[in-house]
Amino acid sequence: MSDFRISRRTMLASSAMLLASTAMPGIGWAQTPKKGGRLVVAADSEPRNLNPAIVASNGVFFISSKIVETLAEASFDGKDGLEPRLALSWQSAPDGLSVTFKLREGVKWHDGKPFTSADVAFSALQIWKPLQNLGRSVFKDLEAVDTPDDLTAVFKFAKPTPFQLIRNALPALSSVVPKHVYETGKIEDNPANNAPVGTGPFKFAEYKAGQYYRLQKNTDYWGKDEPYLDEIIYQVLPDRTSAASALEAEEIHLAAFSAVPLADLDRISKVPGLKVITKGYEGLTYQLVVEINHRRKELADLKVRQAIAHAIDKDFVVKTIFLGYAATATGPVPKNDPQFYTADVPTYAFDVAKANALLDEAGYIRGANGKRFSLKLLPAPYFNETKQFGDYLRQALAAIGIDAELVNNDSPAHIKAVYTDHAFDLAVGPPVFRGDPAISTTILVQSGIPDGVPFSNQGGYKNEALDALIAKASETLDSAARTELYKEFQKKVVEDLPLINVAEWSFISVARDTVGNIANNPRWAVSNWADTYLES
Amino acid sequence: MNPLRRFLRVPEARAGVVILAALLAMALSASLFFPGDPQAIAGPALLPPFKDWSLPLGTDRLGRDVLAELFHGARTSLAVGIAAAAAALVIGAIIGTLAGFAGGLIDELLMRTTDAFQTVPSFLLALAFVSVVGPSLGVVVAAIALGAWTGPARVARAEVLSIRERDFVAGARVTGMHPLEIAFREILPNALPPVLALSSVIVAAAILTEAALSFLGLGDPNRVTWGGMIAEGRAVLRTAPFLSIIPGIALVLTVLGVYLAGEGVVETTAVRRSLS
Repeated sequence: MSDFRISRRTMLASSAMLLASTAMPGIGWAQTPKKGGRLVVAADSEPRNLNPAIVASNGVFFISSKIVETLAEASFDGKDGLEPRLALSWQSAPDGLSVTFKLREGVKWHDGKPFTSADVAFSALQIWKPLQNLGRSVFKDLEAVDTPDDLTAVFKFAKPTPFQLIRNALPALSSVVPKHVYETGKIEDNPANNAPVGTGPFKFAEYKAGQYYRLQKNTDYWGKDEPYLDEIIYQVLPDRTSAASALEAEEIHLAAFSAVPLADLDRISKVPGLKVITKGYEGLTYQLVVEINHRRKELADLKVRQAIAHAIDKDFVVKTIFLGYAATATGPVPKNDPQFYTADVPTYAFDVAKANALLDEAGYIRGANGKRFSLKLLPAPYFNETKQFGDYLRQALAAIGIDAELVNNDSPAHIKAVYTDHAFDLAVGPPVFRGDPAISTTILVQSGIPDGVPFSNQGGYKNEALDALIAKASETLDSAARTELYKEFQKKVVEDLPLINVAEWSFISVARDTVGNIANNPRWAVSNWADTYLES
Repeated sequence: MNPLRRFLRVPEARAGVVILAALLAMALSASLFFPGDPQAIAGPALLPPFKDWSLPLGTDRLGRDVLAELFHGARTSLAVGIAAAAAALVIGAIIGTLAGFAGGLIDELLMRTTDAFQTVPSFLLALAFVSVVGPSLGVVVAAIALGAWTGPARVARAEVLSIRERDFVAGARVTGMHPLEIAFREILPNALPPVLALSSVIVAAAILTEAALSFLGLGDPNRVTWGGMIAEGRAVLRTAPFLSIIPGIALVLTVLGVYLAGEGVVETTAVRRSLS
């Protein structure tokens, strides 16, 4: 029953969207957005630094993407999957050494000052390139940003840089902050990091630690008639079980990022007045990955890694741990990626007998107690699912005679143990695929990454052919050729298993029926919500 | 009348003994009835209790047998409870005896240390200790004992203070016994009964502390614990409440059993005192 309801709603929503995009405005049988109202949203974490230009992460975007806008946003049907925001158009020079952005006219910062190309140049050179977690690699060759006039910004690169990569990076990496606020003093210590100033549809109003963030409508917003909402309140509900009851009690309108546990979705989809939405996260795919420490003699053996891959029942993981709200993975690029994904890679079917045979072949014979060797397994603590997969993996390894000892840590201790101290044999990690392998995927297997960089290859894996492929792709300008190289990359990774991709999942939103225009772009939860509205 | 029969005539004691015996039987027979790893996946996930008689109490989120986990959890709970209480009693008795018997500077030093430990809430102490050292069964036992030895130490000291003035102690001194020998061979055995009476309280508290630590994810992840089971069940509290309720009931019964048995001991000794 619940499935039917969900699909019926999705059908309705998508047909409404179709109508809204094609039908003439003013004919109001596709619902016209209402103005006004206060949207109350569950927030499960309280980021200290709210500057998305420095900390490009979903926890920060969830709040600050409404305040600080990017040059472009992801879109279901826009050209190259993009929709203009602060930039109206982007054009690359044939030599790949420059990209020209034409900026939107008449945009004002929340403090009334005009938005110009100088702000873009400042953000790119002073923040994205040197300070931003993701921008550091994508913009590493950015040399200068020319500003021939107030509405043109020309990015100049020292080395040819693929336009495809820059385009794919725009939605997450290009948050523009005001130069006049940040130019004095140290950028990291600027008070605007905690009370951001932007051009977005909402202004930052207040933050009460442990209680809520309040955003207020920006009456000077460039979007016509937007935003519809008067206020957004992020109600801090750190306990995962409380979001569902808060929704039922009508205390909040929306719980995004799977704040409602997966096991509760079936029940909650039957509650009148609530809807479960699986769309709107296509651009934020998390990958469930077994990270491998190749310094361990046994794990340096490809046969052992293949055995582990064969021992994992991916369907069980998707069905039982993710309750179907996930997909099995074939390789380092998720299946739902429209540009790079290829299914043409080796597969490792769930086959315990084969796994055992591979381990015997590798020379790790079962001892008297039935065990071949012991391992330390560190599941990442960020998600219930990563922890549960750790429990599952321990059992799956036991079936092939590998004795895994679970080590539980809190987040900082886990990051230190895996990415700095390398005190692990296997780890369970949730890296994010951000629309282009060069943004945060290739560093999972590339060699030569300094110790301590989280979510990168810290397992001591080194494969020169793969490194060369990554380097070649990073300077290939032609999109088609570049895409081919990344398909080759997927094949090589799955062949040699520097890590094992098990599943890929996204998030689920649960909202009250009264919230309109939900999930209308692939990064909806972290987009600007200018068109979101509340029916009274 | 022999003390055991007197003990068994107290109704609380009978109830307590029955519960504890059942628990002990569960812990001892866990490997017999459920050989192999209790965390192994045994069936479909989230099977409700009493549906499938090969899995009488159903299964959890991953399809692990709840009954097997319950049996093996009894083992962990009892082991931790008894080990932590034993450690706390031994440390407490030694420190209390030394302080009471030596007096003076040593007494001051030991008792102020005891004060220092008592001012920190014992759960907080255990939490801090485990998060620094890292969770494993031994560490959890040590962490609980760390906060529980102060009670026995104080009781032991008070007893020793009164015993050390008795004639037989003076007699031992005259025969030239070494002071440490007097303290531990003459005085401690006589000071022990009231200290042991604390044991039921400490065991119960230790089992609860262990459950709380596991609930917060600081238990040994490679072992089944009731606290850990409750914590895992919490995510599905609305859809599969039995996953939290079953280990919860086990926990309540255990602590109740320990408490009732302890009460029985107190009653018995009180009766004996009034008789003599």
